[in-house]
Amino acid sequence: MDIKAYIESGIIESYVFGLATPEEEEELLQLSKVYPEVRVAVGNCEKWLRDVSGRYAITAPGEVKMQLLNRLHDEFSTPVHTVPVIHRYREVVFKYAAVLALCLLAVSGLLNIYLYSRYRQANRDFTRLQSQHDMMAADNRAYQARFAIIEHELQVITAPGTRRISLSGVAGREQRLVTLYWDTHTKDVYLIANDLPVPPEGKQYQLWALVGGKPVPAGLLDEKCSGLCAAEPVQQAEAFAITLEKKGGSVTPTMDQMFVLGKVNI
Amino acid sequence: MQSDRIIILKEPQTYTEQELIAALKLRREEAFSYLYDHYAAALNGVIRNIIPEIHTATDILQDVFVKIWKQIDSYDSSRAGLYTWMFTIARTVAIDYVRSRGWQNSLRNSALTEGNHQLADNNILPSDEPGLRKIVHTLKEEHKTVLELAYFQGYTQAEIAGLINIPVNTVKTRIRAAILQLKKKINR
Repeated sequence: MDIKAYIESGIIESYVFGLATPEEEEELLQLSKVYPEVRVAVGNCEKWLRDVSGRYAITAPGEVKMQLLNRLHDEFSTPVHTVPVIHRYREVVFKYAAVLALCLLAVSGLLNIYLYSRYRQANRDFTRLQSQHDMMAADNRAYQARFAIIEHELQVITAPGTRRISLSGVAGREQRLVTLYWDTHTKDVYLIANDLPVPPEGKQYQLWALVGGKPVPAGLLDEKCSGLCAAEPVQQAEAFAITLEKKGGSVTPTMDQMFVLGKVNI
Repeated sequence: MQSDRIIILKEPQTYTEQELIAALKLRREEAFSYLYDHYAAALNGVIRNIIPEIHTATDILQDVFVKIWKQIDSYDSSRAGLYTWMFTIARTVAIDYVRSRGWQNSLRNSALTEGNHQLADNNILPSDEPGLRKIVHTLKEEHKTVLELAYFQGYTQAEIAGLINIPVNTVKTRIRAAILQLKKKINR
């Protein structure tokens, strides 16, 4: 077979361009196995086809490639992208963590407001209780002091040598009553003179002890004292009387200003 | 997703033909992208020679690349080079469309500015005829006719023999002679 004539017949070009019949194709493939120059001729013709195609190439519209990539997107093998997956997983975790943190923050905020109001209430209650406590403590001290006074008065009144002498109102002042306690051992004198009227300006009540029928000054009544009031000690007396005198007291009693009088019962 | 794709496209990548085929068989997007970048214009030219109407040709180009993608596993490098194989697919898809009823109807219903190529003896050619076909139409009548029918319209040798009423063997030799003449004109 004249291979050179075969190659130059145009069968190679016809084959490469796809214009050969199946029989022609089969014949060429068989010959190319036997004759390397046929293979070379086919290779050259294929190169020529590429060159011609390149010469008559027409650039396709720009969007075609992207359309194709989108169309075949699901068919492309995906390189192993573990990092983005982990990243996405982390993103989700972070997202939930952030939401959780925000929820906790909100709850914590509300709790803070609630607890702060509770704290302020408790603080107010505490302050009130403390002031109440202070007041009660002060009351307590006052009662203690008052109790000490009363205890002392009770001791005076109930002492074994103490005499109780009632000074009754004189004629015209019958409703007045003064109680006098005289400790015959210590000679101390105590008075409860609440029943006397308030002395006018510049006047003061004076206690007299009658000794041998004569009045002896036994001290002035303290205006500010109420209840059981201490007077000056009296050594001896048959009776006691109270008169209203000028401030500072008198040497002799003003008889018409006598309010009460009481005898000491021996 | 979009960012992943951009990262892949950024990778500097060149392939030998064997590497490209292997990567395509592994369904690598970057290999497909490379294939498109290097061959889309050439194949588009082949399609436009058969279907001058740009929108239809663009649709066919997409179909061709999808078909290349789907059939890459059946590609046999011992039979033809990768480009020759793709060229054959492009021409086959385009001709299948041309010979479909839809295309015939659209030709009949609309006065296409690109001209009516369905008849071999139609000598009226627009001036913006895509390259290769323009050259074919400068060949002498008997060569032009067989190439028009065989290459651009996909008729088999037997069909052409029936159409123009000559023996099949004559069609065979005329096609071979015509393509050699075409080669001469192109290479001149």
